Amino acid sequence: MGRHDLVPEVRHDEAARLSVIGQINSFLASSIAPEVKSQYDNVVRPDFEARHGQAPADRHEVGAAMESNATYQLWSTLRRNTMEMRQQTGRSIVLRQAEELAEKAESFNADAASLSLNPDVKIPDYIETGDQHLMPGGYAGELVSNDVSGAANYDIGHFATVMGSSGPWNDLAGRTLAAWIQKTHPDLQPKRILDLGCGSGHNLLPIRQAFPDAEIVAMDVAAPMLRYGHARAQSLGVKDIQFIQAEATDTGLEDNSFDLILTAMVLHETSAEAVEGIFRETKRLLRDDGLVFHLEQPPYRQFGAFEQFMRDWDGRNNNEPFWSAMHESSLPDMMVEAGFAAESVFEAEAVATFFDSSKADEDFGRAPKWYLVGARLGHDMTQDENNIGGPGLRAVS
Amino acid sequence: MQDSTQKKTDLDVIGLSARSATGEKPVFTGDERIEKILGVTLALATELAVTRERLDTVERLLEKNDLVERDSIEGYQPDDQVEADRNALHQDYLARVFRALR
Repeated sequence: MGRHDLVPEVRHDEAARLSVIGQINSFLASSIAPEVKSQYDNVVRPDFEARHGQAPADRHEVGAAMESNATYQLWSTLRRNTMEMRQQTGRSIVLRQAEELAEKAESFNADAASLSLNPDVKIPDYIETGDQHLMPGGYAGELVSNDVSGAANYDIGHFATVMGSSGPWNDLAGRTLAAWIQKTHPDLQPKRILDLGCGSGHNLLPIRQAFPDAEIVAMDVAAPMLRYGHARAQSLGVKDIQFIQAEATDTGLEDNSFDLILTAMVLHETSAEAVEGIFRETKRLLRDDGLVFHLEQPPYRQFGAFEQFMRDWDGRNNNEPFWSAMHESSLPDMMVEAGFAAESVFEAEAVATFFDSSKADEDFGRAPKWYLVGARLGHDMTQDENNIGGPGLRAVS
Repeated sequence: MQDSTQKKTDLDVIGLSARSATGEKPVFTGDERIEKILGVTLALATELAVTRERLDTVERLLEKNDLVERDSIEGYQPDDQVEADRNALHQDYLARVFRALR
């Protein structure tokens, strides 16, 4: 992992533990998940067809049939346990040095004009108490003064969860989306950029590198993530990004003041109401000719019933209460309802070019391949070669 | 091994680290006992792998230095080749431990 001043001290056995848990995740995905699919193809589906005269019609019918399959059950139990073990491992690393990490962050953050925390910001209940993806305390929980331990845990643990495939700086998504903007919107020269739900700021540095002259604002609702993200950026020499604590649905920023707005893996962590609010707010903030987009896993409609069922595992078992509904929603249509002109709205795919993605294409969401939904104001995106869908599901199969 | 005498925080690190996330824990097998036994087994498997990795470090350092000091173990940084060797070791190990699931 890339070193910066905020990286916690990780001892020998702790590093080994994170590595082994990553290995187990990788093993479950590459060796056991195919067994689950094989059970479905060779046992569960034929049995269902014999009884019902047809294959399961949707992921719910697949689920009802798979629930009693022993291979699926044990794979699920192990997967759930690796998530819990990863949290225990990461927390035991960061909590034993929680005060020290807080002090380190404070050495960059205290009195910094580039960090604006607001204790009056209302944290949504589902973030305050929901323990997203089994992370005790969630994004906003605090155990010590000026706490950054949750963010530090997220940083070191993400590395284990994805087996280092996000690169030493955990920024594969950030590099992918920066490259995607430059490739598909080469005319865009953003003067002001907004990263909503920036978390610990992993996507910001690739964006800074792609647009060195732009003013960048990074916003999140959770103070611990902002403290860590701001200090991390500062320690890496990036000192010109403004970090602000606010709700993405109510940013307090000026109308028509950004040329580029993005969220990355944020929408699935928020309620449908908040997603609508984010769409309305981004429409308000975006300048004419501006680009807004949201990076997520692809919607379920792109997949067959079994693949949907597997991708929905997180929604059922990983404290992701909005995962299932969001992946079933038509986000392009929601953007139109929020005020975007239908022809300006697009869907696209962003594939990381930095890693070998030629491995198994059906891996239930582990490949570095993301779905983007967004809008380019004042542009007709309906004929754009990169647009794979749009409102009314123009072309998505 | 961690140095338990070196107390840096007032937090109950062991208790807080083991805290469960909110929400109901799924029971996939229909029997909570099986879930728990499998959880314990997985943790045991992980800890054995951790111990093997530590031993691997000790052996490599012994070979290199003819002397092992505690600090030198804590500070050991595997290079890419060592990482690759260890990943191969763990894949082989996991295939043994989870043979029953195949």
